[in-house]
Amino acid sequence: MVGVVIVSHSLKAAEGIKEIAQQMGRDVPVAAVGGTADGQIGTDPLAIKEAIEGVMGSDGVLLLVDLGSAVLNTQLAVEMLEDEGQDQVVLSNAPILEGAVVAVVESAMGHNLEQVKKAAEEAIHMEKLL
Amino acid sequence: MKVAKDQIVAMIKEMAISMAENKIFLTELDSAIGDGDHGINMDRGFRKVLERLPTVVDKDIGSIFKNVGMSLISAVGGAAGPLYGTYFMEFGKVAEGKEELSNGDFKMMLAAGLEGIKRRGKAVVGEKTMVDALEPAAEAFAVAAAEDKAPLACFQAAVAAAKKGKEATIPMLAKKGRAHYLGERSIGHQDPGATSSELVLRSMLKVLES
Amino acid sequence: MVETTLKIKNKSGLHLRPAAEFVKKANEFQANITLERGGKVVNGKSIIHVQALGVRQGMTINLRAVGVDAEDAVAALSELVNNKFGEE
Repeated sequence: MVGVVIVSHSLKAAEGIKEIAQQMGRDVPVAAVGGTADGQIGTDPLAIKEAIEGVMGSDGVLLLVDLGSAVLNTQLAVEMLEDEGQDQVVLSNAPILEGAVVAVVESAMGHNLEQVKKAAEEAIHMEKLL
Repeated sequence: MKVAKDQIVAMIKEMAISMAENKIFLTELDSAIGDGDHGINMDRGFRKVLERLPTVVDKDIGSIFKNVGMSLISAVGGAAGPLYGTYFMEFGKVAEGKEELSNGDFKMMLAAGLEGIKRRGKAVVGEKTMVDALEPAAEAFAVAAAEDKAPLACFQAAVAAAKKGKEATIPMLAKKGRAHYLGERSIGHQDPGATSSELVLRSMLKVLES
Repeated sequence: MVETTLKIKNKSGLHLRPAAEFVKKANEFQANITLERGGKVVNGKSIIHVQALGVRQGMTINLRAVGVDAEDAVAALSELVNNKFGEE
């Protein structure tokens, strides 16, 4: 199964999103990471790297981020991974909560990293009010 | 003429002093067009740099700069963390194994650091970012170095160019970061990132002047 | 085409986990599967679409399947819905 990492400026937000997403599939490896090393609002590349390594399996990992520096720090975290790990990790343009929900469902269905990424990114067009 | 390691260490300490002194100023600049945390973040980052500096002062200059980069990456929190972190990591790659730095080394460091920031932030000159100060600075340094000037004169040229570049950000329309969301309202404010970039280079100059 | 009307009896409706269960089950079949409520038709294999339909307890939906295994799909999905997705 594809692993999912949720990166937010706030650890509480990341954990809350993880909690919601895991309703969709308990077996999918999901990690929540957020906040700076001293617990402030922000992101920490080293913590993100550890979170990726924590859910990394043979099917790879999809990364979901909130805003701005979370993107930069997540890219940095990917570059800090071992070379063979980098190809297995993909940063997604998906909205963080909707994307996480979709990604967990897709991963639970056994879809591959590319399929999970594509489905999660389609959540951008998600109509909340039909 | 070369710059010795103890001067490099002094430069890094000077950066930390400068960030502490300008914490409120940078935060004010950032409050106008960003999320108002640049000064706080840079100060926090350089406090971490100072805290870790004693553990690497006996190592080569490359290791010292890499440690600066890693400290900033881990402690800054905002976008400045990965950007300046990358900048100093690139410094560290050029300075690997060195105990003193020549003009040629500095020239390569400034160019490599700039490229690292441009790659990470996907910014070019004219977008109201750190690049607006760092690119003219790297170019001015290279020109001065090609004329065989002393490191002091090269840094003077670089800082003068950074200052000009920083001031040029005032009328610019922001294209990156949170300031970008402001659109036209970002015009008329000096970019906090370009400002802290000038401070970094000015701190290096200050040590050579003393 | 195989079609049936289902009443949603579980407490949380086609929301989060039940929606995910539905989509996962739907993806086990080759047939095209759609859900319809109040004139809106969505892809039953897409979690985004199923969520967006906003199906709550007490509502009725039309389930349609087209394809070789349409009959099995409708049977399996109906069973899932009628068993309240294993909810109490």
